[in-house]
Amino acid sequence: MALQNSTSRPVKTVRFHQNWSAYAFLAPALVILFLSLLLPAVATLLMSFTDVSFLKPTSFIGFDNYIKLFNDTRFQQAVGNTIHYTIGVTFPTMLLGLLAAVALNQKVPGRMAFRTIFYLPVLTSLIAAAVVWAYVYEPYAGPLNGVLTRVGLPPQPWLQNPSLAMNALIIMAIWRDFGTAMIIYLAGLQDIPNDLYEAARLDGAKGKDIFLRITVPMLSSVTFYLLIILIVQTFQVFGAIYVMTQGGPLGSTETVVYQMYQTAFGYTEFGYGAAMSTILFLTILVFSIIGTRIMRRKDA
Amino acid sequence: MTDLAQPAAMERQITAHRRGREFPRFDVMNVIGYLLLLFAALATVMPFLWMVSTSFKGDQEIFRFPPSFVPDGLRWQNYLDAMASPDAGRQLVNSLIYALGSTVSNLVFCSLAGYALARMQFSGRNLIFALVVGLLMVPAQSQIVPVFLIVQKIPFAGGNDWLGNGGTGLLNTYWGMILPTAATPFGIFMMRQFFTRIPMEYEESAKLDGASPFTIFRRILLPLARPSLAVLGVLSFQSAWNDFVWPLILNSHREMATLQIGLQLLQSGPDARWNVVMAMATLITLPVIIVYLLAQRHVIDGAVTSGVKG
Repeated sequence: MALQNSTSRPVKTVRFHQNWSAYAFLAPALVILFLSLLLPAVATLLMSFTDVSFLKPTSFIGFDNYIKLFNDTRFQQAVGNTIHYTIGVTFPTMLLGLLAAVALNQKVPGRMAFRTIFYLPVLTSLIAAAVVWAYVYEPYAGPLNGVLTRVGLPPQPWLQNPSLAMNALIIMAIWRDFGTAMIIYLAGLQDIPNDLYEAARLDGAKGKDIFLRITVPMLSSVTFYLLIILIVQTFQVFGAIYVMTQGGPLGSTETVVYQMYQTAFGYTEFGYGAAMSTILFLTILVFSIIGTRIMRRKDA
Repeated sequence: MTDLAQPAAMERQITAHRRGREFPRFDVMNVIGYLLLLFAALATVMPFLWMVSTSFKGDQEIFRFPPSFVPDGLRWQNYLDAMASPDAGRQLVNSLIYALGSTVSNLVFCSLAGYALARMQFSGRNLIFALVVGLLMVPAQSQIVPVFLIVQKIPFAGGNDWLGNGGTGLLNTYWGMILPTAATPFGIFMMRQFFTRIPMEYEESAKLDGASPFTIFRRILLPLARPSLAVLGVLSFQSAWNDFVWPLILNSHREMATLQIGLQLLQSGPDARWNVVMAMATLITLPVIIVYLLAQRHVIDGAVTSGVKG
């Protein structure tokens, strides 16, 4: 016993000093992550089982919020709208990004200029983009209806018509996101060994076959990664809707995060908003975990 | 096939193919493809061109239908009006404080934490790293409500007692804006990945000389990390400068509005004029585009390699 003590003590002091400075290095970042991510995640979960609000004292109400949520037709509409938006944005964004990347991975004239142009919308702030598109879609003075009128087509109330508004938002999101997809695909294309293409050409393969048999399969992990990040991102759409439609017309563009914002800050039903948050969080978590798995496999 | 067996012929064949890739043959498919590319580029810049064009139009001209693409004249007055709108100066200051504060704190805190996770021995290291990776997956937008409540309940701030009750906490303050964005799991992860790649020999002689961990970090490792710090800095600045949701929810006072909020207020206001709104949008967009054009290669490459390839 005595011997063990005498050997373990100096080790312990060294360890303690090492630990002490490492914890000091980590402390500020960990405090911030705790306050901005960890505690909120736990708080959301706890709040979702209460009726916390500014208006009355809080009490624990079990699964009532979730039961209410699953019977809430407005929430169901928001879920439907969110899925519509996610699917509408994700697939065209990836397709356009892939086509742009493949085209600009060749030595076409002006390719750096093309890359820069396609990436410009990514740099624009969400609000600047939303304000500009609100003008583009403006029914009585906007350029889009102006062009339609010039070529003899009827002008449309893009953001005022319930069956058009969501698609108008989707087009704007594709415009803003496909530059990101292009950049990620370009990085993926550079990882494909050139020998593959040369071997295929020597075997007499045509451009279309090379694209479908080599390029697309070799990019599959990049494609899956993009799919996940786009789903996670589009599921959380809020700013564009806040500026352009406020969820209207007739709730046709009200998404889950927008409704959550309304519930919490409009009606101060924080508990009910937290239940929405939790559902959203769990859905996104599933996609994130899948995405992380894929990234890890790609790195290995 | 016999041709291909001869190395010289094979080489010629390959260079012919290479050349074919570098200078696309003038066939119909290539022409159509290039026209499509030009069309896509035009469609992409069109909203920007309309933004700039409208920003120069007169007050009557903006209601003309169909609108003309080329403005009647260059009405710089719209830009003066946008800048003269009562809160614009204050909004610029707020945006700069928020963006710079968030950038500086990310650079400091993420590099310290990344360094500790990459190069120091301490108990609980793997657990903390796993936590950081786990937090990468938490969607920020779905957390806005509790973050708001937490910031409101920070003890001793804004008239709060030690339990965080009674006052407004950090609502409507710069601290409240910056604090939740002052360090991100992504930034810590990125800096940790960078510090892991540097050989251990760099700090061993300094350790033998008895330098403190902070001196080693500050004098030896941090200067090496300059490229990674540049990428983290640009990304942090861009995300705070462009942020809309968090300042919107946190700040109810008009004098705490950032430029992004200001643009939204200008557009939704009762006396909104499209020409002035577009002038403001141009003013907000231009700096980011200029910074990007100057730092293009580093930022895109850095963002892609750190984000995608780990």
